[in-house]
Amino acid sequence: MIFEMRNIVKMYDNLCANDNVSLHLNRGEILAIVGENGAGKSTIMKILYGLVKPTSGEIYVNGKLMHFRTPSDAMAAGIGMVQQHFMLFEQMTVAENIVFKNEIHKGPFMDMKKTIETVQALSDKYQLKIDPRAKIADCPVGLRQRVEILKVLYQSAEIIIFDEPSAVLTPLEVDALLETMKQLAAAGKSIVIITHKLQEVMNVSDRVYVMRQGKVVAERMTRDTNMEELAYLMVGRQIVNSDIKPIEATRTLLETKGLRFIEDGREVLKGIDIHVNAGEIVGIAGVSGNGQSELINCITGLAKSSAGQVLVQGKDVTNRPVREIRNAGLAHVSEDRYVWGSATEGMLEENTLMCREDQQPFSKKGLIHQKKIREYARKLISDFGVKASSSTQKMRELSGGNAQKLIVAREMSLDTPVLICCEPTRGVDIGAMEAIHERMIERREKGAAVLLVSSELTEIMSLSDRIYVIYEGRINGEFKRNSMDDKRLGLLMVGGSIENE
Amino acid sequence: MNENRNWKKSLGNIADSFSQPLVAVLISLLLGAVVIIICGENVFTAYGAMIRGAFGNSFYINDTLKRATPIIMGGLAVCIAWRSGYEAMGGEGQMILGAFCSALIAYYLPLPGVLRVIVAIIAAAVAGALYSAFSGWLYERFEVTFIISTLMMNYIANNFASYMTNYVVKDPTALDVNAIQTGKIEAGARIPAIFSGSVHWGFVFALIAVAITYFLFKKTTFGYKSRMNGLNARFALYGGINARRMLYLVLILSGMMAGLGGAFEALGSKYRYIDQMIFTTGYAWSGMVAALLANFNPIGTAVASILLAGLSTGGSAMQRSTIIPVEVCNMIEGIITLLMSVRLIRIAQRNHKSRKAWKEVGKA
Repeated sequence: MIFEMRNIVKMYDNLCANDNVSLHLNRGEILAIVGENGAGKSTIMKILYGLVKPTSGEIYVNGKLMHFRTPSDAMAAGIGMVQQHFMLFEQMTVAENIVFKNEIHKGPFMDMKKTIETVQALSDKYQLKIDPRAKIADCPVGLRQRVEILKVLYQSAEIIIFDEPSAVLTPLEVDALLETMKQLAAAGKSIVIITHKLQEVMNVSDRVYVMRQGKVVAERMTRDTNMEELAYLMVGRQIVNSDIKPIEATRTLLETKGLRFIEDGREVLKGIDIHVNAGEIVGIAGVSGNGQSELINCITGLAKSSAGQVLVQGKDVTNRPVREIRNAGLAHVSEDRYVWGSATEGMLEENTLMCREDQQPFSKKGLIHQKKIREYARKLISDFGVKASSSTQKMRELSGGNAQKLIVAREMSLDTPVLICCEPTRGVDIGAMEAIHERMIERREKGAAVLLVSSELTEIMSLSDRIYVIYEGRINGEFKRNSMDDKRLGLLMVGGSIENE
Repeated sequence: MNENRNWKKSLGNIADSFSQPLVAVLISLLLGAVVIIICGENVFTAYGAMIRGAFGNSFYINDTLKRATPIIMGGLAVCIAWRSGYEAMGGEGQMILGAFCSALIAYYLPLPGVLRVIVAIIAAAVAGALYSAFSGWLYERFEVTFIISTLMMNYIANNFASYMTNYVVKDPTALDVNAIQTGKIEAGARIPAIFSGSVHWGFVFALIAVAITYFLFKKTTFGYKSRMNGLNARFALYGGINARRMLYLVLILSGMMAGLGGAFEALGSKYRYIDQMIFTTGYAWSGMVAALLANFNPIGTAVASILLAGLSTGGSAMQRSTIIPVEVCNMIEGIITLLMSVRLIRIAQRNHKSRKAWKEVGKA
């Protein structure tokens, strides 16, 4: 046993990120830690790496109790981390980056010749091919990661942590990376890989911990498990709420056809076809970061798609200005209430006015009618039960749940045929959550088309008439209400496929 | 909830927005006092002379108000741009072009006097607006930060006007060959004094501009949209406010204000364009300090502008009647600027963050 963590608890204010987590790692082993975003896997690794101090619990390396205060302490104990976001100097060479902070000197100067030799030797030893003289700026992502790995090896780490290592790689680079991991393990290094990609776990790891809601919920030997079981453990059991009356879906109000989106040369949406009918709530399920945000941004005009079409009530609004799309009959509760959904330093009545500022009676010929604006804000506040002291108070003074209710109130009061709700209940308390859900169902019953994006599977499964599963920018499956089960849904969410779908 | 608590809260908010400027002014006056003591003068004598020299009698008051006029206009330019989230600092360049264009038109244009003044003023507004809009285009097309583009454009404007004044439109009748200036505008084509010996009408126009800006901010959808754009550019985008239109409208308005400030100075105070006349006096910068002190409130900006103008005119008076040089006043303004720049940097950072949205959305 090369390291062990015992009863680690990490509290952020009242939020428990790690709840009594215990885990250990054996020499020469590849250990995978899987879990959904927010399951606490990154926190546990940050604790191990000395970036975060645990609230309580103990860490042992080689049987010795450790107190890491900084990453350098962890490094000194032989723990190295390959970050998800590389920390390299673009304008310097591979060799310079690898020896950074532990340079080889000749007098007061850096000994370039010896540096290059050392790096080359290291590269040969672990069969990680690189050119020590190449500039980082000229290296593709896969190579940069290799440099990061060599950097860690150069600091003679015995335990190497990989945080979502394949997130930025192409499939070929992923294969190479997995091969590297196996080689390193064969050379006696111990490896921890944090990921939510189960295929990689099955391919490379010896043992798996599954985390959910801050806890380790299962430990398996990889050879004794399969993707289906892991997906099921990751997502957890879900309850399907079947109280909602089915409504005969008729007219399609929102539709995308072959929607594609490219960001930084990477195709994030690879041809999305979805449609939402009147009187229907359609959920988009998926592990976050699989293109949900980009899809919604392309629909609402906040991002420009590279190909495909968006139709609102049959009208082509592809890549039109936001206001035009909204006027075609769409409202949008954005995924982040403070980044996009509101102006925190603005007053409540300013926040509720958005989208209506050019409409009567709130303004006429460019002159605003303050009294009507205030009345409207007060009406929304009382109608939606927002806890606020006055309409002139600042948005940031509201609690998260109340701020969210106000945003939901604003968008729903626009009374549009299409309503998009992204993470409508993220970080709000149960009361606010129920209120928001009720409103969504109410809109559906009035014949609106509701598109719901959420990383909360429970939310999706209890509200949706139909569910699309999104994985790596593609729709990886479609379900009707009651024809789905959480096991299969979980599998689709992590890129698996179902034979008879 | 509780009315009383609410009331206290809003009082707290007001105190918050006042405390920083107040502290800045107090610290700078205190440091000024230290220097005065070191120079061996009584603090109260020196500051007393300064206040009398700024506001002591009608002559001094008019002098201060005359000086305040371009500062107010420069301040409004900053209010409009910064409140909307564009940290433009091009007021100086726009003011120089405004002053230069209006001085030339008022001197050369063969029209009856009043008409000539009107054309000159309009030309100054247009010059400032276009120059300001150009920095918007640089931003939209090449993502050149406003701070960089506008600061550099200030030098271009100043050196352009300087070249023209030196070699092309230099006053042919000047007695002093060393005077680098354009021809003196004849009495009929100037902005006249309100009454004999008083400040010129430009000051009144500046106050009208303050009222208009205040009205725009508080009573129009433009004010709402620009404020939302300034508070959170992403929120504005998400709500469907046309970012591109906002950008140009705001920059044009802001540039107009600065350009007009230049015209008031040239037509109402100097009656010509004198090389470096805007650059060395730092009107635009004083305007920026005033706007920052007032947290971009137009009325507060006007008040702060008059006080800052008083600091200069009072400083000259202090120099005449005590042993304290006028540089102490420059120092005081410098310290205020330094302390207020904390706020400036914070705003710039916030804008930079939320305006990354431009990149994400592409340019409409």
